[in-house]
Amino acid sequence: MKKHLFVTALAVLFVSGPIFFPVGDALAAEPVIIGVPTSLYTPFGSYGLKAVELAVEEINAQGGVTVGDEKRPFKVVVADTRGGEPGTPVHDALMAYEKLITSEKPHAIVIGAFRSEVLIAAMDLVAKYKVPHLGTIAQTPRFQAQFKSDPAKYKYLFRVTTDALVDANYIAHTLDLLKTDYGLNKILYIYQDTLWAEAFAGLMRKHCGETGWTEVGYEPYAAGASDFSPAFSKAKENQAQVLAMVWDVPLGAGVFAKQYVAMKVPALLIGFIPPMGSPMAVKAVGPEVEYSITVEFPVGATLALAKLPKTGEFLDKFARKYGELPEPPAVNSSAYDAVFVLAQAIERAGSLDPDKLVTALEQTDYRGVSGRIRFDENHVMVFGETSPDETGVCVVFQWQKGSDGQLKRVPVYPAFLAEGPIQLPPWMKK
Amino acid sequence: MTLLIYGIINSVILALYALGFSLCYGISGIANFAHGAFYILSGFVAWNFMNAAGLPFYLAAVLAVAVTGLLGFLFYWALLLRIRGVPLAELIVTFAAGVGMLELLMWRGFYGMRYSLPLFVRGGVEIGPVAVDYQRLCVLTTGVVLVVLLWFFVHHTRIGLAFRAMAQNERTALSIGVESDWIGSLSLALGSALAAVAAMVVLPLGMMESAIGLEVLIYALAVAIVGGLESTVGMVAGSFIIGFGQVAVARYISAKWMIIAPLAAIVLVLVIKPSGLFGKFKELEERV
Repeated sequence: MKKHLFVTALAVLFVSGPIFFPVGDALAAEPVIIGVPTSLYTPFGSYGLKAVELAVEEINAQGGVTVGDEKRPFKVVVADTRGGEPGTPVHDALMAYEKLITSEKPHAIVIGAFRSEVLIAAMDLVAKYKVPHLGTIAQTPRFQAQFKSDPAKYKYLFRVTTDALVDANYIAHTLDLLKTDYGLNKILYIYQDTLWAEAFAGLMRKHCGETGWTEVGYEPYAAGASDFSPAFSKAKENQAQVLAMVWDVPLGAGVFAKQYVAMKVPALLIGFIPPMGSPMAVKAVGPEVEYSITVEFPVGATLALAKLPKTGEFLDKFARKYGELPEPPAVNSSAYDAVFVLAQAIERAGSLDPDKLVTALEQTDYRGVSGRIRFDENHVMVFGETSPDETGVCVVFQWQKGSDGQLKRVPVYPAFLAEGPIQLPPWMKK
Repeated sequence: MTLLIYGIINSVILALYALGFSLCYGISGIANFAHGAFYILSGFVAWNFMNAAGLPFYLAAVLAVAVTGLLGFLFYWALLLRIRGVPLAELIVTFAAGVGMLELLMWRGFYGMRYSLPLFVRGGVEIGPVAVDYQRLCVLTTGVVLVVLLWFFVHHTRIGLAFRAMAQNERTALSIGVESDWIGSLSLALGSALAAVAAMVVLPLGMMESAIGLEVLIYALAVAIVGGLESTVGMVAGSFIIGFGQVAVARYISAKWMIIAPLAAIVLVLVIKPSGLFGKFKELEERV
């Protein structure tokens, strides 16, 4: 009798174990491997990875991801491609990609290439190994063009962040405000001579050409540039009222920001200018950051928005875990969202089979930090400028002096996120 | 006017990059390919003195120059002593050590846009129609003062004269009691300290990140090759040729081709006069 009781108790314990100890069971199961091949010595890569690890920690704390009828934990494996560093050849970055895929055998890739040139080159690699790929950094619109050339081949690739044209549209529409509200109409463009920045600057140029702006310069600079005096001089000589800048390499961006201040260029600065957008800009660049306007893409990367509580919640969690806030340029909210998008797709697919996973990813409809996430026919996240309930969204902000005299980043566009109007510097007012 | 003023300033920045490299090679014959790494290392040392130890910038800058000079001195005794006189080995070792230093800095998190050194003085002046900030004027002044001080040092001090003796003929210098390794290590120390001085005045113009080390090395090499590896006059001339070349290319062709200026200058000089415009080392071979 005693023996029967003991055996029965053991059987009950065995059967009910997973109910009482689901987390432990999931963690004991075979992990679902997320590969992160990216450029880690860049804010994009390093903060993106932290965001991925934060999301993975949250999902694993809930027991992991359900694959069929089994809970399995996520595991992150990382390869530093060094692709964001000047001088790293594309094929070196690709080798790191391939090594991660072949040696770690990830079920999916998140974040991915830093430089657009690497992403385009990596598309064939990803297609060859059939690994679902949720990119969150590289921004070139050529991704869509290549995707369209053979959708069946490139179906494993998705973009869970903006492309450069989205950010450029936000800036273009902010320029509309400057034109209609303040009558500004002379513009000079400066951009880093890389694929994504060229697309960004090109769209601004096209938009301004169609809306009556007078162009006084269109200046591509090599990514390693460290002197912008020729462009600033041109802006002064031609009385540019707006300087539109697109840059992400730290050295050039830093020199640009400080040299703009030093050369007293009497033009409003607008664009994608990470040192100006950083929460630490006042210390790093100086109080002259006041009035500069920059775009954060998508929302939640570094700035908590009063009208989008999810951004603040994400940044609070980030700060609690890592003891610091991310600094731009960062697309860490995208990286964070991408993990949840992947988890939901795995659960929908009920399998880790790449083709089933792709089908499930195509059905994504997730409300994340960066807004509502759905993919278009090119596997690119849909962005808009009207509501985070409809699409992903970005924000344009301006450094303004608050009532306490402190400089802070004030959202100025789009209207549903704006916390104040654009301010013109006193030296520009007529 | 802008071309003239910023051409001069950019040329002086290049001269500051190259000064320590050229001096070190001129004295000891060691092409220190870790020069750029010492440059950016000194920036991070200063940043740490300011932010970790709470020191004021000027004191942090002086200490960073001293620490970098000391590291250059130790670098010679630790890595170069045994391979002294084998140029290829010296080149490989200094380059590898430089890359190692840059990797170490990146591993420690020194990248991105959070690191910068403060300006000496905020604001600027108008020179005619051209606005120039005080920091760039400090760069200009530092460049001129350093060249004058170095001239005085090598012509009117005992160590400076020993340096010149080594530069002219190492064996003869040895025969009159100049100790080769001491002078070699002092040249590394001085070259590294000069890199640090350049860093203290130039880095506040922008942000700091480890990759700058490679850029500084490339510019120092370009200037030295164009001017002549061991020649101070050549170094100054090379800086001005490349500095003005870059500004002119940006002004009259396109800014994205600025990087072509130093490369084109190197190719031209190597074709026309391989020892550099003011170089002497290979002049006889070239004539033959």
